[in-house]
Amino acid sequence: MGWRVGVDSGGTFTDVSLYHEESGRFEDWKIPSTPEDPSRGIAMGIAESLAMVGASADDLTYFGHGTTVATNSLIELRGAKTGLITTEGFRDLLEIGRQMRPSLYDMMADKPPVLVPRRLREEVPERIRFDGTIEIPLDMRRLREAARRLAEEGVAATAICFLYGYLEPRHEAAAKETVQDVAGGFVSASYEVAPEFREFERLSATVVNAFLGPVMKLYIERLSERLRELGMRAVPHMTQSNGGVIGFETAARLPIRTILSGPSTGVVAAQEIARRAGLKDVITFDMGGTSSDVALLENLECKRSKEPVVHGYPIKTPMLDIHTVGAGGGSIATVDSGGLLKVGPRSAGAVPGPACYGQGGNEATVTDANVVLQTLNPSQLLGGRMKLRRDLASDAVARLSRELNLGLQETAQGIVSVATANMAKALRVVSVERGYDPREHALIAFGGGGPLHAARLARELDISTIIVPPAPGSLCALGLLLTDLKADFTASRIVPLNSGSLPSIELMLEGLDDQASDWFERESIGEERRVIVRTSDLRYAGQNYELQVPFPSGPLDANAISLLERNFEAAHLRRFGFESPGDPVELVTIRLEAVGTVSKADLFKANSVKCSDAPSPAGSRVVWMPEFSGRGRCPVFDRSDLRFGHVLEGPAIVEQMDTTTLVLPGMRAAVDKFLNLILDTGR
Amino acid sequence: MTAIDPITVEVVGSSLNSVVEEMGEALVRASYSTNIKERRDCSTALFDKRGFTICQAEHIPMHLGSFIEFIPYIIESCGTDEIRPGDVFMGNDAYAGGATHLPDIVLAEPIFFERELVAWAINTAHHADFADRGHSHIFQEGIRIPPVRLYREGVLQEDLREVFLLNCQVPRERLSDINAQLAANRLGARRLNDLFAKYGREQMLAAWRALQDYSERKMRAGIAAIPDGVYRFSDTFDSNQYPASLEFDVAIGVEGDSMVLDFNAPAQVSAGLNMVYTSLLSACYYSVKSAVDPTILPNSGLARPLRIAAPKGSILNCVHPAAVDGRIAACQRVADLVHGALSQAIPDKVAAAGNGCCTGAIFNGVRSNGELWVYLETIGGGGGARPTGDGMSGIQVHLTNTSNLPVEAMEREYPLTLLRYELVDGSAGPGEFRGGMGIRRMYRVEEACRFVVEGSRLRSRPWGLAGGRHGAGSRFDLGDGPGAFSGTRDLEPGQIVAIETPGGGGYGPPADRSRAMARADLLDGRICKDEAHHIYGLEDGR
Repeated sequence: MGWRVGVDSGGTFTDVSLYHEESGRFEDWKIPSTPEDPSRGIAMGIAESLAMVGASADDLTYFGHGTTVATNSLIELRGAKTGLITTEGFRDLLEIGRQMRPSLYDMMADKPPVLVPRRLREEVPERIRFDGTIEIPLDMRRLREAARRLAEEGVAATAICFLYGYLEPRHEAAAKETVQDVAGGFVSASYEVAPEFREFERLSATVVNAFLGPVMKLYIERLSERLRELGMRAVPHMTQSNGGVIGFETAARLPIRTILSGPSTGVVAAQEIARRAGLKDVITFDMGGTSSDVALLENLECKRSKEPVVHGYPIKTPMLDIHTVGAGGGSIATVDSGGLLKVGPRSAGAVPGPACYGQGGNEATVTDANVVLQTLNPSQLLGGRMKLRRDLASDAVARLSRELNLGLQETAQGIVSVATANMAKALRVVSVERGYDPREHALIAFGGGGPLHAARLARELDISTIIVPPAPGSLCALGLLLTDLKADFTASRIVPLNSGSLPSIELMLEGLDDQASDWFERESIGEERRVIVRTSDLRYAGQNYELQVPFPSGPLDANAISLLERNFEAAHLRRFGFESPGDPVELVTIRLEAVGTVSKADLFKANSVKCSDAPSPAGSRVVWMPEFSGRGRCPVFDRSDLRFGHVLEGPAIVEQMDTTTLVLPGMRAAVDKFLNLILDTGR
Repeated sequence: MTAIDPITVEVVGSSLNSVVEEMGEALVRASYSTNIKERRDCSTALFDKRGFTICQAEHIPMHLGSFIEFIPYIIESCGTDEIRPGDVFMGNDAYAGGATHLPDIVLAEPIFFERELVAWAINTAHHADFADRGHSHIFQEGIRIPPVRLYREGVLQEDLREVFLLNCQVPRERLSDINAQLAANRLGARRLNDLFAKYGREQMLAAWRALQDYSERKMRAGIAAIPDGVYRFSDTFDSNQYPASLEFDVAIGVEGDSMVLDFNAPAQVSAGLNMVYTSLLSACYYSVKSAVDPTILPNSGLARPLRIAAPKGSILNCVHPAAVDGRIAACQRVADLVHGALSQAIPDKVAAAGNGCCTGAIFNGVRSNGELWVYLETIGGGGGARPTGDGMSGIQVHLTNTSNLPVEAMEREYPLTLLRYELVDGSAGPGEFRGGMGIRRMYRVEEACRFVVEGSRLRSRPWGLAGGRHGAGSRFDLGDGPGAFSGTRDLEPGQIVAIETPGGGGYGPPADRSRAMARADLLDGRICKDEAHHIYGLEDGR
């Protein structure tokens, strides 16, 4: 037994969390990131935190790592010089995409930049037909010429995507081998990255993967070297967008899978918190400085996004269905030419930050509004390490209030209301737009701003329960200690859902099982830790969008088929409000999720002693709230004073190092045995 | 009238927007025909009880035209008192109810709150049917349906449905798509009811009046920023569906915060190219909003500062029984006209002419089981160059924004094979910023079928601005050499057809283009050596 370590490396800070498996001791460590070579900060963070607990790298038994290296390379277009080899006649598909313009009315809006310039997009004669038969065999001579030209151009990565490559991968496989021989570098083929139908999205995913490949490879090499120098022997893991971790080897081959790893780790942690608290259906609400991420868990599971797009690029790779909206503490409020108040998506970021930071920002942000209302402590943040200037916040909000012809406080409250409406819209996307009623879900609020805005958001959506975990500001680092190994495999082949298709379905399943076994072996996951979850994408014949339905676990026979059909029709009714019994159903894709469970840090020690006394506030302050019809005095509690069994009646404010929780009048907050604050909103 | 604060207006506005977008998602995902499910040729909206737009989803600007007259027609023909919960109205006619062409079938459902009619959920979807018809007048173009009840107090009017389906070439698709349209409206009605329950009737009514006023204020603020004056522009409209070229012109008068758009055009023609007045309205709303302030909410308030006129009986404001099936071609030219005129006043806010078409390819045939099949797609082209940069290549412009159909979906559903899908070299209009490139789409038909292509900019060209040159025009090739052809053609198995769409016009003199950008275009094969040398002045590609 030893220490488990999670390292979340962000643009500003590197968070390290350490957990001792025997004693249950848990420690956090935060150091500034080293963006020019993040591995330096990571190694430093690990070394310092180990020194703090008096352990050595040798004592580490698990290393979980979250990084923004792939995301940032894509946003900042700092990927590799990338070439493309594709079917003759289709090199411009990457540029045409779905032929839609990015903004309906704004003629100046642009599509995201194309990652492979036209001169590096090579066409090769070959053609596979829709049924997987080969009409034109791959022209090997032309292929070699294309690879040679790319080599001469000095590409560091090559993407290979042919029409129907998901159905008949032999051409792509042959091309990959040739390119590796002739041009070398990082080679990425569509049948390995995203073996599913719809050629543009598959192509886009393959190109993004190639673009990120060399960057990720270098990153992993450097980091592995540092970890070796430290003397760490634990196998390193990296988080991916589907809420699981993968080994460094897989991450180097499929960097596209790590693009949204940050928010997914928060969802994993929220999932564990909900599980312990005995909840099944929850919506996670992670509000940071520039944006908020929301996700819906049904029966503790977060669905996968159907058409994942990151910064305008379809990535067709398993990703938790997390919806992001540009509403955070730093979102800027403005009055537009029609006289309405707008909040975001522009953000003051960390620099200059909200006006109250006193770093030169003079536009009113959501944080400034909260400072004016005094729902946020108007003089300090981070337990006193950061001073705030209420006067500057008031000046900024006052400028808007003059334009709106409203009072200062009314304007500040207005900023909060509009930001809340934006966040409510995001919550509706993951709930009502997917056929779920938010009122049947609890809200888990975290991130720096989540607990401050959760009460108003819950009121807006008629949500009855809010959970604020004990350390809402560092939930992602915590998630790193809780994440299982996960890999996703898909087999895509459109067949009618009836007994006649049993042989083809069986073949698809066998192929998936083989891939899963290989992966389990590669990741050295023992039999007892292996879990397999199968789902299938189904639709009525004639439709083009599929619904995901769990695949029955028993024997594959006529009964399984009819069960699948019934489940599909129930899902269709729920999602679209009608079903068409008797219409033929098609199976499009079978998905297999292979999970290697890791023994999770038992971070959730239940308290056994329930306090019956009333908590005493650390102080009080005057707060402006519409519920008071103006100003009112509100007790302020220190989170560290709150014990299991304590109950607070709203209005109340709970402060801790990096978060403030607002309990509105008419709400009640109880502390559970895991020290979560559970708010009953009175709905 | 209830007073309402600007914050509640914004909050209710966000919620209404969620409702129409959610209706749209439900419609796309539950529909069966490729034109709706993959190409997203559909739109959803909420209207107030008198028939004014409250909120339209960001789908296809053209479709607003189908909605404008629909509710007023129902109110006029049935009387408000006769409208009951559970009624669903269906219609598509251009002259009774103002839909802009017959394939856009509109479904509208009244929304009641506490037994009072408060609003309408409405949507339209372009049904790929009524193919291979004549266009001398509207009677040839498909079945005409005025806004009538498909459901009466929740009861399906089967007789109407049977008549409708018998007139369709692909009835199974029509039925399923209509189901998806019904479901989308139901969802909208349910969501709007929730909002009424939450905010109360008075607040809701006040909020959307305020939203309409808000759009009006923003439109007026945008117009007021344009120098007063009269701005004229003329352009040529040509189509392979009509032998002659037609001259359109506009005079846009700007005075303070209002605008008059006065069009002139030849008399309506015996071809499916005419526009009813609602088509002209939607074309103008789109064009003015996109140039003046793209962020204005698309509701009826934005129309208030505008006066729009064209001679009655002209191609831009046709009268019964003119054929209207391909009206979008003329609408695209209206958008070009408006932007061309406004470019003289606000050159920084408009782009050069885009491809100016909505090039359509329609295939139809008979399956081995005797059922008919119809496949329709529209193909994007070059976007106009902008004062801020090159035009986008291979996109839909102006009044349409439909997606393409993935090759891997098309070939499985229809006896078609796509041989090439690429940008047309040399099609971009030269300029300091060049236009976007047009698209070449080359098909091989695997079974005998009928084929028609509908296109424009065959004889005219997408113009450049501020010294930029024009983009290339359209070309169609059926294997007997490129040329314009009209009407429906029979294709043999194995026959190849190719369609090239126009490139966008350029912006600014080509001589001002940066060397690096011109060289990159040469390396990328977007321009040839000749163009690099003669137009951009590059010597030996340097």
